[in-house]
Amino acid sequence: MLKTFIIGIKDLRLAFRDRAALIFMLAAPFALTLGLGLVTGRFSGNSSGISDIPVIIVNLDKKELGNALEDLFSSQDLAELVEPVSGSSPEAARQSVDEDKSAAAIIIPEGFTNSIIPSQADFANGNEPEAIQIEVYANPSRPTSAGIIKSIVDEFISRVEEGQVSAQTSILQMILSGRITPEQAEQAGIEMGQRLQNSPNVDTLAIKLNSTTADGEAVQFDILAYLAPGMALMFLMYTVSHGGRSILAEKAQGTLPRMLVTPTNSMQILGGKVFGIFLTGAAQMLILIGATTLLFQLKWGDGFGVVMLVFAAVFAATGWGMLITALARTTAQVANVGSAIMLIFGILGGSFISLEQMPLAVQTFSKITPNAWALDGFTTLGLGGTLADLFAPITALLTMGIILFLTSVVLFGKKNLVQK
Amino acid sequence: MKKIFAIAWKDAVIRFATSAELIFFIILPIIFTLLLAGGTPSGDDDNRIRLVVVDQANTPISQEIVAELDRSSAVNPEVLSLEEAESEFDARRATVVLIIPAGLDLKSIQDGTAQLDFRQQPNNLNASVAERAVQTAIRRVSSAVNAANTAVEEAKSRGTFESLEDEQAYFNEALQLAKSIQEDAPERVTIVEGNTPDDVEYDPRANQSAGQLITWVFIPLFGISALFAYEREQGTLRRILTTPTSKATFLLGTISGQVVMALIQMSLLILFGMFALDLNWGREPLALFVLLTSAALAAGAIGTTMGTFIKTEGQASGLSIMMGMVMSLLGGCWYPLELFPALVQNIVKILPTTWAMQGLLDLILRNGGLMQILPEAGVLLGFAAIFFTVGVMRFRYE
Repeated sequence: MLKTFIIGIKDLRLAFRDRAALIFMLAAPFALTLGLGLVTGRFSGNSSGISDIPVIIVNLDKKELGNALEDLFSSQDLAELVEPVSGSSPEAARQSVDEDKSAAAIIIPEGFTNSIIPSQADFANGNEPEAIQIEVYANPSRPTSAGIIKSIVDEFISRVEEGQVSAQTSILQMILSGRITPEQAEQAGIEMGQRLQNSPNVDTLAIKLNSTTADGEAVQFDILAYLAPGMALMFLMYTVSHGGRSILAEKAQGTLPRMLVTPTNSMQILGGKVFGIFLTGAAQMLILIGATTLLFQLKWGDGFGVVMLVFAAVFAATGWGMLITALARTTAQVANVGSAIMLIFGILGGSFISLEQMPLAVQTFSKITPNAWALDGFTTLGLGGTLADLFAPITALLTMGIILFLTSVVLFGKKNLVQK
Repeated sequence: MKKIFAIAWKDAVIRFATSAELIFFIILPIIFTLLLAGGTPSGDDDNRIRLVVVDQANTPISQEIVAELDRSSAVNPEVLSLEEAESEFDARRATVVLIIPAGLDLKSIQDGTAQLDFRQQPNNLNASVAERAVQTAIRRVSSAVNAANTAVEEAKSRGTFESLEDEQAYFNEALQLAKSIQEDAPERVTIVEGNTPDDVEYDPRANQSAGQLITWVFIPLFGISALFAYEREQGTLRRILTTPTSKATFLLGTISGQVVMALIQMSLLILFGMFALDLNWGREPLALFVLLTSAALAAGAIGTTMGTFIKTEGQASGLSIMMGMVMSLLGGCWYPLELFPALVQNIVKILPTTWAMQGLLDLILRNGGLMQILPEAGVLLGFAAIFFTVGVMRFRYE
């Protein structure tokens, strides 16, 4: 056991003395994470959250409903979400949207209130008021923000419509059932309006919405918490194949068989080499995690969960490294295949773009990569999850590692690796 | 001339000595182009807030609620099982979950017992927006029932019903009436799309075809540095000193050989773009040739300069891949440059990849011709001139 440990530590030291390997192990993932942080605006304070949506309201109606809609946008409820500005000219408001200064303009035309609540004169004369529409002038380059503005207007209108449908239904049904005469309708409408205004249930929904908020603090997901592990995991595949290459290099140089003249058996030698690869991979991941935490203030999440996930991911990746080594004949083959697999696993595992955007078949196929499972776990931790939430990724990574190791052992046995 | 050709041929033979080189030469670029072109959002994707819905009721009313949510401009409902939804919510992958419990039907709404569960993550603005959208959908679906209930209450305020059956009949008639009023209701909101220009010119296939072409061609051209380091390590460079071969002949042979191979690789990737991705790369062949040659010369020159600084082949090969990937990322080859912060957009103009990418996009996205790409080609040739000068001046056989 001690010999295995010593061989592992020796390989760890050698890996971190190799400047060329350090470029891939540490410099490249760090530089790419830095680059991704720059291009996503992570370092310039850009936020993808929705807040303070600029909106211009032009209220030409100046009556109850127009004023109520304007008041809604200025209410405390929406204070964080929208930043309303009153305008007087529809043309100027539209121009502000066209110039991308606002996400939307809401134009409430004159007569909007009267089109829904007829004036006494219209009601007395039986005039059907003409429908007047609120215009939401939406900014196509801000579809989400404009959609939210529209949904607020929609909600307001649905409330107004509900009141109107209720009033019309009640009055008409009473006329149809003979409870009141058409002449009494106006008076009944006024009485009903007053009663509903004073009713505590006026704003209640027929279907109750029980809203509950999860425990804990709000977690603002840091985009770097996805990008940094993505890059670290991609270059972890380089480290494990580089470690595998060292096994074949030692075989070619004759150092592996030479060790057999010492009181060390082949299992101890190979075990030490594999342990060295595992240690190097774990050290690489932990250094990158430490560096990004210190330099970018990146919150990786629950510390214990991070460490366990790193060990599981390195275990599975080492399994892949062993398989590549077991299948290859020369160090050059390991280097080429290892680099290719590093890049393929990187793109399949979500290091370049989110897996959710990939076709379903690719998402399914990505499950063969340790990158996809580990990135899934790191995302869970970044979102506030703990070790308890990592059962699936850790189990999958450990299973993957065991299968790959067993396969590699069989292949190594056939190769008789330690014998010259 | 014969010597130059011989050196270039020797480099090609060394490079393609193993079939593994083909993986990096053509296979990986094609895989990356396909996956990134298929997986990058095109801008037409649904960017509404994701709302996980669990429909345990599976009644016409619950389906109406889901359909109403689907029409919302704020949320995008995704129906999952309770187990899946809870798992996503616990892992904080779902901001909001709406649970429609079993038994939600017309009768429960009429009785006033209908309830939905809405779970949201703490202090999340998206969750507040989604809650508002859910309330609107519920209001729309239940407003006819609400109106009929109000009608019954109004009727009761003017006298009682003779029996419960009478009350139910009155409710049913009022419900039908409310539904017909709802159907006849005019549209109260009109949406007009503004004329805001969209700064992001993006087509996943065109961008990725151009971007991956630059990435995978720049990396091996930077790898000229590894070629120099390899020959220096092997001592073959020193041996050339014993032959009547000048430094210029050696450099020209090595660099031109790699540039020609890069042009062959680019041609293959252009053909892939034309036939597999249906891109019109062949519209301006002369402009395309000028731009690709300028880009290849710029990258080759940088590789030459790198080769004069880096000592070992291993370091050179690692740095070539790292620099190639970082420069491609920052040059807008993976994600559109227009999405970068303004300051970064200006800083990355010092990179050749930025100019090469802009030139290719001028051709494929903006239908430009030779005149439009001349500025980019000029900058790339400027890079080539500067780095070749530095590289040749610093070049040593030992």
